Amino acid sequence: MKRSGTAKFLENALPSLSVVAVLVAWELVVRWRGIAPIFLPAPSSIALYLWRMIADGTMEYNLGVTLIRIFVGFALAAVTGIALGLLMGMSRIVYRIADVWIAALYPLPKISLIPLLLIWLGSGEAYRIVISAVTAFFPIVMSTYSGIRQADRGLIKAAQDLGASTRQIQFKVVIPAAMPSILSGLQLGMGVTIILIVAAEMIGGSSQSGMGYLLISAGQVLETEKVFAALLVLAVMGAVIMKLQQWIDRKIAPWIAHDNR
Amino acid sequence: MDVIVDGVTQIWGEDPTQVVALDRFSHHFRSGRFSCLLGPSGCGKSTLIQIVGGLEPATHGTVRVHAPGRADDVRRLGDDSVMVWQNLNLFPWRNVIDNVAFGLEMRGVNRAERYARATALLGSVGLRGFERHLPGQLSGGMRQRVALARALIMERSILLMDEPFAALDAQTKIVMQEELLKIFDRTHKTVLFVTHAIEEAILLGDEVVVMTARPGRIKEVIPIELPRPRSLDMINSHEFGALFDRTFHLIREEVSAAMAQQDAMVSSPA
Repeated sequence: MKRSGTAKFLENALPSLSVVAVLVAWELVVRWRGIAPIFLPAPSSIALYLWRMIADGTMEYNLGVTLIRIFVGFALAAVTGIALGLLMGMSRIVYRIADVWIAALYPLPKISLIPLLLIWLGSGEAYRIVISAVTAFFPIVMSTYSGIRQADRGLIKAAQDLGASTRQIQFKVVIPAAMPSILSGLQLGMGVTIILIVAAEMIGGSSQSGMGYLLISAGQVLETEKVFAALLVLAVMGAVIMKLQQWIDRKIAPWIAHDNR
Repeated sequence: MDVIVDGVTQIWGEDPTQVVALDRFSHHFRSGRFSCLLGPSGCGKSTLIQIVGGLEPATHGTVRVHAPGRADDVRRLGDDSVMVWQNLNLFPWRNVIDNVAFGLEMRGVNRAERYARATALLGSVGLRGFERHLPGQLSGGMRQRVALARALIMERSILLMDEPFAALDAQTKIVMQEELLKIFDRTHKTVLFVTHAIEEAILLGDEVVVMTARPGRIKEVIPIELPRPRSLDMINSHEFGALFDRTFHLIREEVSAAMAQQDAMVSSPA
């Protein structure tokens, strides 16, 4: 079906136009009704605060600290989760043992571990990284395991027929076949890492840094403009991380887009 | 290589729900001949070639492989055969050349040599220039050629083919059949070719082993004495027509039997 030029233009422009429209409406409502900035600041004053926070370095510093925590927590979860997932997929004994623990710990809301972790680790870096890594570990380990178990039997048989040894089958067939599942586990893991790091920064912050700390401290003194500015930066950060991860996935496993068996 | 199948029975599953896929199948597949296994769906023909390829253990019976005239020198099952699968089973993450060279890579052949051999083979099946494509980027016919090249590079004397052309469109299928005939005339491998298409079986085979509906037994072995090299023009010959009629009547009874089995399975309470 051939669409007219105007229809195409509208389809491309409407999403951005909708954002502009909401911002303009927001600005106008705040100004006309004289809403107090502590309840709902106007977009223009949020932008002004955001600019000031960037200019004096507060935003960059807190964003940087949060990003480092996210990547450390995620890396820890990815390495341990993939390693255990692979072992579980390849060894029945490891699976049997790990399964008991996963069954018991997975349904537990990980934030309920916060009091315990605060007692054990204090409220410093270790606590934030451990809480996020523990949370991200579960989706990663489970997707890795199921990717290994669900590796196409036909491909395994074909490799066997072409003379591959058991070890070669595991490394050259089973693990690559599990890649799509491992990568989607990592995406889930990244999502929860972000959530948990920011939450941990809000709850037990002794080091007084990070986007979560920025949010909670601005909120406590009713600097609502700063709260909105921090939320905006967090939203952009999350979107950029997710897009980046999808881009890396396509580089690692370009066949997934073409795999139409 | 001669392939001697002796009393092979294959039973899937446990007692109450078990299925007898093959029942005392015995046949001597002679070295250098093209044998087609023809039968209704579920008659165990795919199972049989997997057993011959050493990829499934038979419940009962034996398969022996040896060079012609050397019956005392029995080879290990699977060492002399390679399979072309119905759904191809290409590795989707490997590009064409790495799919074709897979067997050599597993054997420890260095990259330069395996790429040289794979490139030559890809040229001979008309895939020059597609070495770096992923299987998912190719058409069905091209994927089929990759699968064929991946098997041929192994240089095994027995070629096991499980309905390799079933998923292709009519024109591509004709081209691939002619290609396979040429390869057979050139290499004289021992071929076990599973199909449910009568014309294909007669066109390609030196013999057509007609199988019964489940449990799969041999119903009749029809020798095909059409001259080689074969070509598609032969389909219009009188001889071909006579062979087709004979095979068709045999297979029709079995297909009806297979359909009755399926109906019974659907209507009987589980």
